Amino acid sequence: MAARLLLRSAFRAASTCRAAPVPALTRGMAAGGIPTDEEQATGLEKAIMKAMKEGADPYSMMKPKEYAGSKADPHLVPSITNKRIVGCVCEEDNTAVVWFWLHQGDAQRCPSCGSHYKLVAHQLPH
Amino acid sequence: MAHQAHAYHMVDPSPWPLTGAVAALLMTSGLAIWFHFHSTTLMGLGMALLLLTMYQWWRDIIREGTFQGHHTPPVQKGLRYGMILFITSEVFFFLGFFWAFYHSSLAPTPELGGCWPPTGITPLDPFEVPLLNTAVLLASGVTVTWAHHSIMEGERKQAIQSLALTILLGFYFTFLQALEYYEAPFTIADGVYGSTFFVATGFHGLHVIIGSMFLAICLLRQIQYHFTSEHHFGFEAAAWYWHFVDVVWLFLYISIYWWGS
Repeated sequence: MAARLLLRSAFRAASTCRAAPVPALTRGMAAGGIPTDEEQATGLEKAIMKAMKEGADPYSMMKPKEYAGSKADPHLVPSITNKRIVGCVCEEDNTAVVWFWLHQGDAQRCPSCGSHYKLVAHQLPH
Repeated sequence: MAHQAHAYHMVDPSPWPLTGAVAALLMTSGLAIWFHFHSTTLMGLGMALLLLTMYQWWRDIIREGTFQGHHTPPVQKGLRYGMILFITSEVFFFLGFFWAFYHSSLAPTPELGGCWPPTGITPLDPFEVPLLNTAVLLASGVTVTWAHHSIMEGERKQAIQSLALTILLGFYFTFLQALEYYEAPFTIADGVYGSTFFVATGFHGLHVIIGSMFLAICLLRQIQYHFTSEHHFGFEAAAWYWHFVDVVWLFLYISIYWWGS
């Protein structure tokens, strides 16, 4: 009997939740009482959230953009200093990666396949 | 803050892994001391150190994530993988006990009377308290899902109520199971039936208690506004663990309580 009572109250409770309308425009502390990330996120999580809203990726979370690698469309390599190591997998499934330093200035070419790489300055939000 | 070019969390040096390891050493050697020299001091010391380690380590994680914002999307993804891998390891842990049960029960030896349940064992009626326990855990699975949706929809009061109800159901299960243990007509010493029954259900009961504790911490955190409607992985991890406990019970019920009776 106790089990049946419990089950009944659980089901009633669950269906009450479904019956209540979700206030779409008045979420968060103002309405239901649970904050949103917009209100409460802090630190690096907040910085990343803000940047992603503007479409920026300052912490390189996304896959690098794809470029042709030609002189007109070189691979753009972001760097917080004036040089960065590049590892070129010249052809798909190559197991030997070609490593080289990419310096600020004119585009450099991979010594193996000749793809063009150009360093671009990358600002960290501070 | 942002003196790094990546979104990962470089954790500050922490003493808790060391204290945890020392606690493990003291508990295991303390167990041996208890067996041979009848003193529980060393083991007790190890347990106290373990509790302190857990409290402080997880408190630090809450500080790093909720209060300092270190739990960025990639970090959260790593935490998800971690919890899934941990639960998977627990699945294998229980798999072993189910293996032991089926090994002995599928081909009962002559010493048992060639039958299962063995001669002289009166198993518990699966349609009495064990069935109630099944209903209790299934209901708690509903309430914990209700709690999750409440959090995602920003409903603070409902989240607190449903989470509290989940924990109460968990305590009710533990209470009923404790009564069953007290009233059972057989003990752990009653051959392989007793061993498989009490070790499998006993470890399950321990996991129910652990899961209830985890949910209780989540309730305290929810009351203190730690969770946001988008970011509440601590709660999700507790809910995953709770569902795992529920599923293990279903397998226990079907195999040991029902088929094994």
